[in-house]
Amino acid sequence: MIETSLRWIVLTPLLGAAINGILNRRLPKQASGLLGCATIAVSFLLSVRAVIMLAGMPAGERLLTDTLTTWFSFGPLHVDIGFMVDPLSAVMILVVTGVGLLIHIYSLGYMAHDKGFQRFFTYLNLFIFAMLTLVLGENLPMLFVGWEGVGLCSYLLISFWFKDDVNADAGRKAFITNRVGDFGALLAFFVIGTTLLPFLHEGEGLFSFAVMQHHAHHLTGVATLAALLLFLGVTGKSAQIPLYIWLPDAMAGPTPVSALIHAATMVTAGVYLMARMSFLFVLSPAAMGVVAAVGAATAIFAATIALAQTDIKKVLAYSTVSQLGYMVLACGVGAFAAGIFHVMTHAFFKALLFLGAGSVIHAMSDEQDMRVMGGLRKKMPLTWATMAIGTVAIAGVPPLAGFVSKDEILYETFLGAHGGFPWLWLVGFVAAGLTAFYMMRLLVLTFLGKNRASQEVQSHIHESPATMTMPLVILAVLSVIGGFIGFPKAFGGGAWLQEWLAPVFAGGHGAAGAHGGGHHNTSLEFTLAAVSTLVALTGLGLGYFVYTKRPQLAESARGWVGGLPHRLFAHKYYIDELYGKVIYRPLQKFADIVCFRWIDRGLIDGLMVSGSAVLALFGGSVLRLFQNGMVRFYAWIFVLGVAVFTVYLTFLG
Amino acid sequence: MVTSRSAVMAACWLILAFLGSAGLYASLQAPFLAVMQVLVYAGAIMVLFMFVIMMLEGPVMPAEARRPRPWMLLGAVIPAGVILAMVIWTIKGVSLPAFPQNLPEGFGQPLSMAHHLLGPYLLAFELISIVLLVAILGALALGKSERSKPWK
Amino acid sequence: MEVGLTHYLVLAAAVFVVGMVGFVVRRNVIIMLMCLELMLSGVNLTFVAFSRELGNDAGHIFVLMNFAVAAAEVAIGLAILVEIFRRRRTVDADDLNTLME
Repeated sequence: MIETSLRWIVLTPLLGAAINGILNRRLPKQASGLLGCATIAVSFLLSVRAVIMLAGMPAGERLLTDTLTTWFSFGPLHVDIGFMVDPLSAVMILVVTGVGLLIHIYSLGYMAHDKGFQRFFTYLNLFIFAMLTLVLGENLPMLFVGWEGVGLCSYLLISFWFKDDVNADAGRKAFITNRVGDFGALLAFFVIGTTLLPFLHEGEGLFSFAVMQHHAHHLTGVATLAALLLFLGVTGKSAQIPLYIWLPDAMAGPTPVSALIHAATMVTAGVYLMARMSFLFVLSPAAMGVVAAVGAATAIFAATIALAQTDIKKVLAYSTVSQLGYMVLACGVGAFAAGIFHVMTHAFFKALLFLGAGSVIHAMSDEQDMRVMGGLRKKMPLTWATMAIGTVAIAGVPPLAGFVSKDEILYETFLGAHGGFPWLWLVGFVAAGLTAFYMMRLLVLTFLGKNRASQEVQSHIHESPATMTMPLVILAVLSVIGGFIGFPKAFGGGAWLQEWLAPVFAGGHGAAGAHGGGHHNTSLEFTLAAVSTLVALTGLGLGYFVYTKRPQLAESARGWVGGLPHRLFAHKYYIDELYGKVIYRPLQKFADIVCFRWIDRGLIDGLMVSGSAVLALFGGSVLRLFQNGMVRFYAWIFVLGVAVFTVYLTFLG
Repeated sequence: MVTSRSAVMAACWLILAFLGSAGLYASLQAPFLAVMQVLVYAGAIMVLFMFVIMMLEGPVMPAEARRPRPWMLLGAVIPAGVILAMVIWTIKGVSLPAFPQNLPEGFGQPLSMAHHLLGPYLLAFELISIVLLVAILGALALGKSERSKPWK
Repeated sequence: MEVGLTHYLVLAAAVFVVGMVGFVVRRNVIIMLMCLELMLSGVNLTFVAFSRELGNDAGHIFVLMNFAVAAAEVAIGLAILVEIFRRRRTVDADDLNTLME
């Protein structure tokens, strides 16, 4: 069904970005902020309206489209600028615009004293525009435009305070690492495109999702290759192994940026891509196995690193990487709906946690090291309460949102459709325990005990203004009740989300989760849920115990097993150093020696520029000999010419 | 003649060559031409050459002191040889009949020449007169001695 | 041996070629002019031979014209040469290279 309001969901933020961008400082901060938030509010309302419309349609036909114009068309390669809303993108736009709106409001307070206020809102709006293009695009190129757009905005926002080299470097690292992933994604597009080309009917656009899904069965041969290449893009965008390295560095950006982009939206673009292209992934069990393995590995890998981090934002960053691992794992085992569910709940509690951290940092006069925090509970009660809720949510304690989605993923992993992946379940299980532990650590170090900062800093600690605390409260509420939308039937819930998403993943197994999509083992589900809850509570309890009652234990733990684990965790397994040696240095040498010295200087400057000069001179000096003024020489040339001519006449005349 | 060191000797050889040419013309039933050859070429032109040779530097020109270098000779002779070879090739390729035995009446005689010159080739005749006139004028103009300083 | 047209033609060609070689090789301008005369002579011989062969004595007219032209050319050429000699004191072709770039 055609719905022309769809375009305004996407374009309104673009408008906001344009106005804020052009007027910049000529627009007073109040107006600028108001505009920035208003555009997102409009998008949000239109999104709600679209979803309501969608809900009113029969389950199998839930699709709204809005085609603006044709982008380009070369025979079968026909790509429109068009948007579509189906159950999957409906969930995404609600999250993006909803959480986005909250973060915009939060930024009014957080960035109030910043000189680049207007620029910030320009970039924020631009980002929302790009993200919505990504999610609402009705074909792969549109998605990719959004994909690249969010990458760009990520760069702009991470290096927002670019005058400091560290920030600029972080932004660059993010962008380039993303690029590596994008390369894989592009290759995947080409593979898919060339494979499907011969099978298209008249008038079908090559990369339109509907069309591709229709012809999906032709992709069986190249499915593994295409899926793996796409996954490379996913590892870049969604910070999985091996391309996650940019996300912790991205914490150099303002905290609202971390909340919006690196917790709630951009990093979930990879998961969205996999969900959107699920029809491709399910054709290749091998690729899905790789995806699941990488997801699980990333989840536990990042969790271990988070244990030993001292910067509050870094802990949250690695936590994000870890949670993204869960989402990727979900897609890998075919539980796409569960993955999207976790995207949603994660957006709630991770944004909450980041914004809360921002509130803390703000109060602590821009201090981010947890070792000098403490006792903030008394002076920042609202922040404390909401962050506590967020911690419990992420740990996976029922009935909060985190539990429902994470447990669903773990259940699907254990069970699966091919007999499940118990090993991966174990990994996810352990990672969940670690998650609970390090989050409690964060909570204790920050809010409990006595404050360890200087007098100067302590005197400035205050609760944040309403613009900042209100979003915290809203997100906290969502973190609590957000899970009910997908509560499994086995526990008395309605599993509405899974049902809602089921038609999109009709090809996938286990997609509907608790909704009779595959095996359904109630007792197993209960058991696993109980075990998950147990490990979550254990993690939380242990964390509380160690860090409040036995802090020396934490200290001495650093020395366990020769201090090696702590060093590995704290130094992020030295991965950045490894990449430096293996990738950056050789590349730099290559660029210097081959590209600069050989090609640029030697070939282009030397051979081609100087060379052509030499050639001209040389040629000239040769030709000059013919102009020597010697009459006899000229006569001789005559003779030669006549000789040649007579030969010609004799033999060819 | 081509190889003689002294200009005077070269001139003498050339006179001999012309006389030979005259004889050849005679053998080819061109008596008028034979006589003209001797009169004009050997008589007038070579005399002119002699004049100039004597006037200028003397019999042996120092300019020719050095023998032409071998590669120069070769460079000139080879293309020349090629041309000659081509000519011979062409001639041999075509079978030329022998000279006809019967010739028209008065072939090569002055009367016949006159008939041509004042007949169909009148224009040529007139034009050549003009050429000669121009040549005289030119030579006169060039030959005027001027008090010009030698310019080196 | 019957002396036929062929022989005359070959002789004429040989004369022409010899003159050509001489023109290129010698440095003395006077001798170069004399070689020119040789070349013209060779041409004349060719014409006369063909004229005899074809029984048409109109070819002799061309030879006559050739004589006149040769005379004119020699006259002018030597006049120029004399003039050059007066100025440069040389008749060496290699010294007369003001046409050089």
